[in-house]
Amino acid sequence: MEQGPIGRDEIFAIVRDRLVDILEIEPSTISEGQSFVDDLDADSLALIELVDGLEEDLSERTVGFRIDDEDLEDLKTVRDAVDYVFDRSK
Amino acid sequence: MLPVAVDAMGGDNAPGPILAGAHEAAAAGVPVVLVGPSDLAGRVTADGGELDLIEASEEIGMHDDPAQGVRRKKDSTLVRAAEAVRDGKASAMISAGNTGATMAAALLRMGRIKGVKRPAIATPIPVPGATPTVLLDAGANAEVQAEWLVQFALMGSVYAKHRFAIEKPRVGLLNIGEEPGKGDSLRKEAYHLLAAAPNLNFVGNVEGRDVMTADLDVCVTDGFTGNVVLKTLEGAMKTVIGALMDAFVAEEHYKPHADALMPALVPLYESLSPDTYGGATLLGVDGVCIIAHGSSSPTAIVNGIDVARSMVDQEMVAEIREAIASSAI
Repeated sequence: MEQGPIGRDEIFAIVRDRLVDILEIEPSTISEGQSFVDDLDADSLALIELVDGLEEDLSERTVGFRIDDEDLEDLKTVRDAVDYVFDRSK
Repeated sequence: MLPVAVDAMGGDNAPGPILAGAHEAAAAGVPVVLVGPSDLAGRVTADGGELDLIEASEEIGMHDDPAQGVRRKKDSTLVRAAEAVRDGKASAMISAGNTGATMAAALLRMGRIKGVKRPAIATPIPVPGATPTVLLDAGANAEVQAEWLVQFALMGSVYAKHRFAIEKPRVGLLNIGEEPGKGDSLRKEAYHLLAAAPNLNFVGNVEGRDVMTADLDVCVTDGFTGNVVLKTLEGAMKTVIGALMDAFVAEEHYKPHADALMPALVPLYESLSPDTYGGATLLGVDGVCIIAHGSSSPTAIVNGIDVARSMVDQEMVAEIREAIASSAI
């Protein structure tokens, strides 16, 4: 896998691809402003699958990348997740 | 076939009975691979060889938080066992460890079968003189939606067909009465969806008293109710058997009569023992995952490994995938 800093657009693509896989929805239906719960119908289990998948995707690019469980409740929207990952992977 | 991955460190008394069961299964011809620490003792087999090992340096304890345990202990026996299935190094996994963590490891590493909303735990409930009733969900999902219950019914039917050779399993919805209008809004909605579902032999609402009868093959309910039913039955059976044994020795002159009954009672007792069925199966994940009782004996582990082998041989996961894909739920 490619090494080095990850751009914000690429992070959005990674988050989107995971959501497509977990929620079984079309990529085109996902946008940054959407709420996980209200718009995407993602429950708590889906969010755990998402963060676990993101850790797996990003751990090779950003050594030790992890999402703290206590931060999960702050991730309300797709944008929140993208921003969180972007900040942590710098 | 690929080996069955056995979590050597999962269970109240691990690794002793787990290793004993793994050795017995291997000796009977079922390939197994242990998942445990590099210095795991007791791998040497009777013929001087040794059971294969997938190394894992961590354990998820019985009281660890399931999701956190799986996410933080990435080199745990449970996570490595699930990864072995995902990566094609094992055909199935079995653990007698933390039930929630086993589910989380299977879900997060093997993934869900496409279309499955939530995996469910299927547990065989013994029925004297007949095939067991498959109870699901026995505890994976405390809260459910009506559509999930239909998926549980589909998955439970496939499981009953393969596990107990029942061609058209009779599916009942656990409720507080038999009439279609009985129960809360969830049960009423689920009833209509189940009645309309093609490829299901839905026989309507059933009550708690029907679970241990020969009138039913698959009993569908939410995980909260299912777990209460399971634990209630386990506790009640234990109490009744204990009271029976006490009665046999209450008077000296009862003893010969009790002895005379033993040839009939021992097989009955064995047919009611959870060890006989080798544990529950997590349905809906993309692989075979057996959840054994924490206090599993070597016999329970042997039987659990054999169930895993059988589910793999019969390609149960592929059939669940087809059943879900062909349903509109």
